[in-house]
Amino acid sequence: MNTSKTLCFDIKGIQECQQNRYPQLFIDNITDVVPGKSAKGFKNFTYNEWFFPAHFEGDPNVPGHIQVECLVQTFIMTFLCLEPYKGMKTNFVKMDNVLFKRKIIPGERLEIRAVLDSFKRGMAKGSAESYVGEEIACRADFLITLPDVLESFKPRKK
Amino acid sequence: MTNLEKYNKAFIESFNIGKDKLDGLKYQDIIAWDSVGHMQLMTELEEEFNVELDIDDITDFSSYEEGKTILLKYEVNLDI
Repeated sequence: MNTSKTLCFDIKGIQECQQNRYPQLFIDNITDVVPGKSAKGFKNFTYNEWFFPAHFEGDPNVPGHIQVECLVQTFIMTFLCLEPYKGMKTNFVKMDNVLFKRKIIPGERLEIRAVLDSFKRGMAKGSAESYVGEEIACRADFLITLPDVLESFKPRKK
Repeated sequence: MTNLEKYNKAFIESFNIGKDKLDGLKYQDIIAWDSVGHMQLMTELEEEFNVELDIDDITDFSSYEEGKTILLKYEVNLDI
């Protein structure tokens, strides 16, 4: 595969690459994907989102775990767009250096920039940052696995 | 640092265990040596000894002792 080519994915394309579905799929579209290297994701938050009435009444803002999901759903597109891994299930292993810098409210658009530092034998390491305009909203480092790939590398005997 | 010290360090850092736990240690003897821990150990060893382990050697690498034999195939002698 030519890894210098950049790719874009609409919601249909995203669902072909990853297994997250409504109400757990948050990102709207993915652009500027350099397969095996980086990706950019976007999420438009409207008051229609299921969580705003509950988080919180009178002060609706995006819960932290959903912000992290937006980061990781963009991050996994950096390798799930590669043909052998398309559609595979992913597992969280580790999250480090998580920072929340800004409240996100209805009507705002989140831009997520993800970078894949290494991808080997079903283990992906990297990071993602999200922005509202030029302001950073949140960031995290990730270690994610593809359990189906990892399985083929585990010791055969104990 | 000797090769054996480097080898031990890879286990100690990958699994966050003491040196006294290494002799006789096998895959899944401890919680940390699961399939994810195994990949972390393989990566540590590859970086430490500047080698690229073959898939068959990765799946044969089932114990602390077995690993010493496997690394010999990559000209990593742990007696040095």
